[in-house]
Amino acid sequence: MKQAAYGLVLYIFLMLPPVTALAESIMAIHMHMQMPLFVIAGMLMTPFFQKKFPNLFSKWNSNGIPGIILFMIIVLYWMLPRTMDEALTIPAVEIFKFVSLPFLAGVPLRDSWKKLETRVKNIIYISLSAIFGFMAWLYIASPNQLCNNYLIVEQKTLGWGFVFLAACIFIYFIQTLFIDETEYE
Amino acid sequence: MEALKNTILEKTNKSLGVNAEDARLTLTYLSLAFIVLFIGGALGLLQGLNRAGLLELPVWLNYYQILTAHGVLLVLVFTTLFMIGYFYASLSHTLGGLLPKVRKMGWVAFGLLVTGVVFVVTTIIMGEASVMYTFYPPMQASPWFYIGLVFLVAGLWVSGIGVFINAASWKKRNRGKHLPLLSYFAVGAFVLTLLGSLGVTAEVLMLIPWAFGWTETINVMLSRTLFWSFGHTIVNVWYLVAVSAWYVTVPKIIGGRLFSDTLARLVVILSVVLNVPGGFHHQIIDPGFTQGLKFMHVFMSLSIALPSLMTAFFMFAVFERAGRKKGAKGLLGWFKKLPWNDVRFLAPMIAMIAFIPAGAGGIAQTNNQLNQVVHNSLWVVGHFHLTLGTTVVLTFFGVMYWLIPYLTKREMTTKINRLGIIQTIVWAVGMLFMSGAMHWVGVLGSPRRTSYTTYGDNATALGWDPYLFFLAIGGSLLFLGVILMVYIVFNLMFFAPKGNTAFPIAEPEDNASVTPRWTERWGLWVIVAIAVISMGYVIPLVDLILNAPPGSPPFKTW
Repeated sequence: MKQAAYGLVLYIFLMLPPVTALAESIMAIHMHMQMPLFVIAGMLMTPFFQKKFPNLFSKWNSNGIPGIILFMIIVLYWMLPRTMDEALTIPAVEIFKFVSLPFLAGVPLRDSWKKLETRVKNIIYISLSAIFGFMAWLYIASPNQLCNNYLIVEQKTLGWGFVFLAACIFIYFIQTLFIDETEYE
Repeated sequence: MEALKNTILEKTNKSLGVNAEDARLTLTYLSLAFIVLFIGGALGLLQGLNRAGLLELPVWLNYYQILTAHGVLLVLVFTTLFMIGYFYASLSHTLGGLLPKVRKMGWVAFGLLVTGVVFVVTTIIMGEASVMYTFYPPMQASPWFYIGLVFLVAGLWVSGIGVFINAASWKKRNRGKHLPLLSYFAVGAFVLTLLGSLGVTAEVLMLIPWAFGWTETINVMLSRTLFWSFGHTIVNVWYLVAVSAWYVTVPKIIGGRLFSDTLARLVVILSVVLNVPGGFHHQIIDPGFTQGLKFMHVFMSLSIALPSLMTAFFMFAVFERAGRKKGAKGLLGWFKKLPWNDVRFLAPMIAMIAFIPAGAGGIAQTNNQLNQVVHNSLWVVGHFHLTLGTTVVLTFFGVMYWLIPYLTKREMTTKINRLGIIQTIVWAVGMLFMSGAMHWVGVLGSPRRTSYTTYGDNATALGWDPYLFFLAIGGSLLFLGVILMVYIVFNLMFFAPKGNTAFPIAEPEDNASVTPRWTERWGLWVIVAIAVISMGYVIPLVDLILNAPPGSPPFKTW
């Protein structure tokens, strides 16, 4: 339960106005630091919800598939350039960001991950690195400004951030194929 | 069959003590390390005397040549040689001998390092590479200086890969067991070295064609940023090497136990994951970065203080428990029960005490405003003589008193112990004078990286003189310390009486909790480290490359 408390503290910290203002002032930090931290805050708070609503999770997320699909939908939604713009200009969308990333992406991700089969996990690794790779190409190669609120150079920076993220996920996936943890157990 | 053979080898090794071939490898590294320390120390003395205005250096060996050689030899070469020698001995002891292939890699790495040192030192002596150990462009050294650096980095890589191979092979032979803590430190330190060296490798590969004249200009800010992703990390690698001795050997020497295996491993993981972006605070007054970015980086830099504070907590817990076991009473009674007259404890203990002001000074420098006050002053030099020159180096010295007798099957005599205590005190007092004076005169404005000058008898500059005398006195004491230490090392190596010295490895507490499995998941931690590095560096690097100025032609300022 300590974890849940830490998650809550992180969650509140991230929503403090000076913190959001600073995090959202740089495009790459907005998408690659603030948003993942919201997901992490949600993951930390997951044990609290699992304890409070055990039936909800066992009934609706017995094999982890619904949860991971929900996670993917939320993540994909927040990757669209337009949603970032709207989060900055429309308060309701900003609130939706604060709610959706921790509770509709972080919580289902942690609840689902242990329940998933290796095959499904591999699909997630591959699709996430492929999507991130595509986003990298989009943000680096686009000659136009994709977000009204951020300059083209920031857009390119974000694209390079995506290159690294895609590489991280892909390298991790590859090492799971080659390094069999059970060999060391 | 192979596994059986290895198990038998391992058992024989444990009962017979050190493997002679492994010992020869480590002793070769350590001998060269202390020869390098002697040369580097002598250069340091010359510098200190020059800085105080007491010694005029000849034209053919000027202050900046000596400064560059002193920095490269002590910050890069001495420490690297010590680290590889010490960790290879640790692997040999805790994993039951080095694999023949790994031992060979150790020798190859040694060859690469020596080649690198020859290139670097020759160009410095020829007066073609007075660029200091940070080799900032647009100052341009001879291309062979940079090629020497490539050899040095290649030596680090080969030795690191050797460590990984040995550790992985042990894990396969010992399923379900955790890698022994000291080897775990070795793996962590080399993972960090490899991650940290990526940036500097990219930098040097840009500098070489520029130094040959194949490219006309160089991106100065990009080079500095790539350098510090390495420079800061490598200092923390040396610190991690020293810390490994604190965690694993010091508790045994004081008759205590390992306080928490999990905490020690967590410190290694955090050091690896958080370290590389910390380098940015060395550039806190560089132009070309926005204030917001610098502010973000303050957090990344300060996060490194977290594992250091955990270490402080761990060590105090070990001391208190060991003291209470020996019957200490009251809040601080354990303090008196520590073996102050044992140099194997005294040297690392003073190293740890020095890290209290050293770490605090580091935290101060990480802050933008405070950094502005001291950035290009001698304060910074004082700071890294405390962290590296005291905390790290005194721990390395402390290790020598048991590692060399262990490797040579000899024993430390009470005479050497006494001499060691004198050496430690001389070093501590010398550093107190030198580093203390550097800190103080730095705040008064005396610049770093500058040979002695009174700026045309300017009153302010003349006001620095008394402090610079203290600097010279400290420097002289430190050179005395170097002479004593080199004598001790070679005495222990060749003249100490034959006998048996144990490799001190602390046992866990009787009621120790089980170390969780996640500590062994290096695949995950390396990925997290890469993610954190990209969080720290993607924004500034893309900006520096896409919005690059025209670039700078080379300058030879000496």
